[in-house]
Amino acid sequence: MKIKNFIIVLICIIILTGCAESRILERISITTLLGYDLEEENKVTTTVTVRQVSPDDKSSVETQTNTEDTSFGTRIKVDLQTAKKVMAGQLRVILVGNELAKSGIEQPLQRNMMNSEISNSIYFAIADGTAKEIIEGEYEHITDIGQHVYNLIHHNVESQHSVSPTLHEIVRNDYSPFRDNAIPIIKKNDQVISIKGLALFQKSKMVGELSSTDTFYVIMLRDKFESGALELTLPGNTLSSTQDKDNKLEVGINSIRSNRSLKLVDASTIEFDINVEIKCRLVELHSNENTGEPEVTKKLEKAIAAEIEKELARVIKITQEKNSDIFGFGDVYHASVRHSGLTEEKWYEMYPNAKMNPKVKVEILRNGIFE
Amino acid sequence: MKNTIYVGNTQQFNAFLLFYIVVAAQIGVGIHGFQRVLYEDAKQDAWISLVLSFVFAHIVVTVMMKTLDMFESNDLYGIHLDIFGKYFGTTLNCIYCLYPLFAFIAIVINYIEVINTWVFPYLSPNFLCLTILIITIYAFTGGLRIIVGLCFFSFFFILWIPPILIIPLKYSDWNFLLPILDNELKDIAKGVLSMTFTIIGFEIINVIYPFVKEKDKYKRYVHLGLLFTFLLYLAILLISLTFFSGGQLSKTIWATLTLFSIIRLPFIERVEIITICVWLIIILPNLCLFMWSAYRGIIRMKVISPVKFSVFFAIIIFIANILFYKRSTINIYDKYYGRVAFFIVFIYPFILFLLAWIKKKFRKIKTAGEHNNEN
Amino acid sequence: MFNKKKQDKEKNENKDQENKEQQQNEEKPKHEPISPDKNQFLLDVKQKLHSPSDFIVRFVSDNMTLVYVDNLVDNKMLNEIILTQLHEVEEIPEAIHLKLSIPEVDVVNELNKFIGDMLQGAAIVHVNGYDQVVVAKISAYQSRGLSAPENESQVIGSQVGFNENLSTNISLIRRYITNPNLCNEKFVLGKQTKTSLSVLYIHGIAIEEYINTVKQRITDLEIEDLIDSSVLAELIDDNSRSIFPQMLLTERPDRFCDGLLSGKIGIIVNGSSMGILCPYSFIEFFQSREDQNLRWPIASFIRLLRFFAILISIFLTPIYVASLTFHYEVIPQPLLVPLSESRAIVPFPPIIEALILELIIELLREAGAKLPTKVGQTIGIVGGIVIGTAAVEAGITSNILIIIVALGALSSFTTPNYMMGNVIRIIRFPIILLAGFWGYYGVMIAVCILFIHLLRLTTLGAPYMAPFYPPRFKQWPNSIIRFPITFIQRQAVNSRNKKNDSEQSGKKVSK
Repeated sequence: MKIKNFIIVLICIIILTGCAESRILERISITTLLGYDLEEENKVTTTVTVRQVSPDDKSSVETQTNTEDTSFGTRIKVDLQTAKKVMAGQLRVILVGNELAKSGIEQPLQRNMMNSEISNSIYFAIADGTAKEIIEGEYEHITDIGQHVYNLIHHNVESQHSVSPTLHEIVRNDYSPFRDNAIPIIKKNDQVISIKGLALFQKSKMVGELSSTDTFYVIMLRDKFESGALELTLPGNTLSSTQDKDNKLEVGINSIRSNRSLKLVDASTIEFDINVEIKCRLVELHSNENTGEPEVTKKLEKAIAAEIEKELARVIKITQEKNSDIFGFGDVYHASVRHSGLTEEKWYEMYPNAKMNPKVKVEILRNGIFE
Repeated sequence: MKNTIYVGNTQQFNAFLLFYIVVAAQIGVGIHGFQRVLYEDAKQDAWISLVLSFVFAHIVVTVMMKTLDMFESNDLYGIHLDIFGKYFGTTLNCIYCLYPLFAFIAIVINYIEVINTWVFPYLSPNFLCLTILIITIYAFTGGLRIIVGLCFFSFFFILWIPPILIIPLKYSDWNFLLPILDNELKDIAKGVLSMTFTIIGFEIINVIYPFVKEKDKYKRYVHLGLLFTFLLYLAILLISLTFFSGGQLSKTIWATLTLFSIIRLPFIERVEIITICVWLIIILPNLCLFMWSAYRGIIRMKVISPVKFSVFFAIIIFIANILFYKRSTINIYDKYYGRVAFFIVFIYPFILFLLAWIKKKFRKIKTAGEHNNEN
Repeated sequence: MFNKKKQDKEKNENKDQENKEQQQNEEKPKHEPISPDKNQFLLDVKQKLHSPSDFIVRFVSDNMTLVYVDNLVDNKMLNEIILTQLHEVEEIPEAIHLKLSIPEVDVVNELNKFIGDMLQGAAIVHVNGYDQVVVAKISAYQSRGLSAPENESQVIGSQVGFNENLSTNISLIRRYITNPNLCNEKFVLGKQTKTSLSVLYIHGIAIEEYINTVKQRITDLEIEDLIDSSVLAELIDDNSRSIFPQMLLTERPDRFCDGLLSGKIGIIVNGSSMGILCPYSFIEFFQSREDQNLRWPIASFIRLLRFFAILISIFLTPIYVASLTFHYEVIPQPLLVPLSESRAIVPFPPIIEALILELIIELLREAGAKLPTKVGQTIGIVGGIVIGTAAVEAGITSNILIIIVALGALSSFTTPNYMMGNVIRIIRFPIILLAGFWGYYGVMIAVCILFIHLLRLTTLGAPYMAPFYPPRFKQWPNSIIRFPITFIQRQAVNSRNKKNDSEQSGKKVSK
């Protein structure tokens, strides 16, 4: 019995001493969007969107800006400006300004990965211009900018219009020596926020951009397509030679499922074979030809394949010019060559001179309900 | 044979429960972050180290069971007394009793650190330690039946992990595993060494052996248990290796938890926070088993009631927790503990087996000699 | 706990057979002879009974005296049989014994014995000059008619419940089980009340070990009074300090018989409309007799729903409290805004809010249970709606919590057993407290303690968590869902006729 009493006393002590610090939902401010911008003297401006709940049943969203050496410093400053403690556990998107991206994103990444509060499934994007501009902008139809940007990226990633930029993937590519990041660029156009394209990175510095149409080819090379859509302009003489050469044949395909394989064929000259298999559905064709005919389909498939090959080669060329290996060719090289002793520096010397042979095979499975 | 334990039929449990005991004893806090240590040694071939370490574990377990079978219904402590005589045997028992104590400390401080880092940064480690200890004492004083029951139930709290690993699978890139065997064998062997902290636990059969009902078929369950943990670890390791890039993995302290943080279910986000809390029930049988195995040793020297023993044990743990509460000290502790554990779990069984075998031979010759004399 | 069990076991071995004799011995106080003299006899009896007003003395003839307690005897029998026959008989107790044509007549030569009988409704005939009396048992028991079981109602199945009369209840059971193996052993408990009770089991199905334990525990009891079977259940529980009941109390004869047929031991106490069934494992408390009466997929669905309801009932409010107090990260984005907006005007932290609301619900329930049925319902509805809406409008609670708490309360009522339903409702409170202090970690502490506690519990020495632990995988499917009847072995959890492998006891090392 003595021991039982002892335990009871112990439990009392515990209850009196060990209370966890509470973070009651409506008594904290929840950050949903975080922006970093480069300032003079290497200082970083941090802009946050903070959602607060007020007793009149409405939640308000406000933004706070501060400039400090570290982001934690700004956090303390932000705390001084808000009525409730700012918590980052529900952070959805991190935006990094163009200037900062050009000087390196390593610091903001490190900062957020160290913080256990922040999940690594959040999105990381580059702002066209400054992040502050986007976050602080006045929008008529957007109540919560953080939520809005998150949804914007999320649905585009789901439908494979954009490269998936989760914090985890960005960090993974950043720490991987033979692979570079391609991060979506968010742009503010007056009242509209849109994804402008892709930022190309070399190590952790932004070196170039790709347009949003090129994103398709980036995804095709990096990943599988589960459901993609593409609009192509084929040369006018694709289906019948009688048609005028200057004429263009517009083709729309969707439900694209693609599979790619990268293969190093020659380690000494650094030559890669890129095989892409595409299965798709034809939805738009500005022609009077009967697409039900196997002949026509075959011609069309060939033409589409050739066009995609061309485009792929072009996109790869751009990345080679910028020396940004966003497709992970370095990893393929490292994986295929034993005891290669490959280092990051070596790879950056090799990559621009690598030879790529994209080969595309297209299969049109269906062509809609109206031929 | 001397020093045999007489265990009543009612105290024994069915052999198949050994499967759950081995699984529960092995899976503890190590699973949260073993990938990093392993990667630092063996790089992309870490999984080979894992396979090797489990092969090694199977061999060790076989040797352990061979030793135990030589002495009918006796545990390690009894074997010590039998082989080394009363005084040296007792000394050895004393030393061996410290091992579960150290293991207990390792689990508690590591788990507390995880909670403090991920869930409650301000919650006092002493408080966490106290709660864990109270629960452990409550379970421990119920006797072996309760401990085995906890092992059994905690198994079902592990089962949800494999299906949930499918979600991070879509981020994985199998190129990270290639080229296979690109590292030196020495590094891979080092990886085996670093696995110690994660893989140990199965040595509990040394102590629990007399309580197994069907002594003729218990072996397969021990091996099955090892196999289960092996598959679980392998799945987690392979997914981690492909999920993280090398540089990232070597900076991620608790790779499993970071891995879980990408999982987003429709009704909960941040699965890792739930995981950490649920882990309490997974380390609990682990702790109870270690406490119990220390108790078995102590009771050979001095008859003491389980309640008194557990309170005494808890006080030591509590003090140890106060001593090692910083990240840096925990790291050092883990490192040394891993080495000691490697010796005790992986090397010592061979020595013991050899000694037992010699002793047995010797005894046979002796009895044979006596027999001859009589003639 | 430990010690009690041990003692039980030791005693079991010694006293297996002589239980009954021993009990009778204990019941007998010191022998007091009956005075042959008529007046002395009357004086003795009156002194024993402290001259009660309902004590009636009738002088049948010069030598014969008839005494009884008013209202306890059947007046019709008394007048028509006993009184008429007494006039025709020779005035010797043996002769009267033979002559009286009523079912139960006895000749007793001991004062306390026949007084006990008289208090249970016997008429006593004393013949002057003999130190023996004739005891004619013609008790008229005032009892309620059989009615539908109100607390354990079910849609499909028999609509009859036990009443307060021991013999009626036993006859009900005998109607269900016409079997010579149905054993019925009588015990008398309580120094003051002398309540009789019956231990029922089916010989050959019930396990000897459990029967002995039950009898042992009953005979070991030394209590002043016994009014209801629930008191007895608590007294002979393995761990009476636990919040969990370890024996089933049921007012349904069909459920009782179901238990007997699957090897359980039943106890029926006179004056109580609840029968006790034991050993009863944790999972069986959540199985209803009705499950057997429905088609198996439906019964399985309902059973699963019930388990789900228990989880909701215990953990939903704590999880709400924990999530809102500590783990806002875990809440998915679409829920975040409605949750925080509904909480915005509430002045208390979630733990206080939840406790207030849970208390209100408990108050409503208690008030509803104590009031007459018709008023109770109205109060429940009015109270629920009025207090609920008013609380939200006044800003004391958030409307989401109202839904959660109401859901929890509703779920707790799906438990087919009232005692277990109470437990489910009450253990929520400590868990809410833990959740409010330490979030999910606190909830996990509660889960661990709950698990350990359930594992430590035993019912008649058999594991409480059976068949889950010790695992008997074959019994799992039928415990969780209901299998088609052709697949069911008629054998309940914990009643297999093997030596039980799970007794807990201290560990001994012998050197």
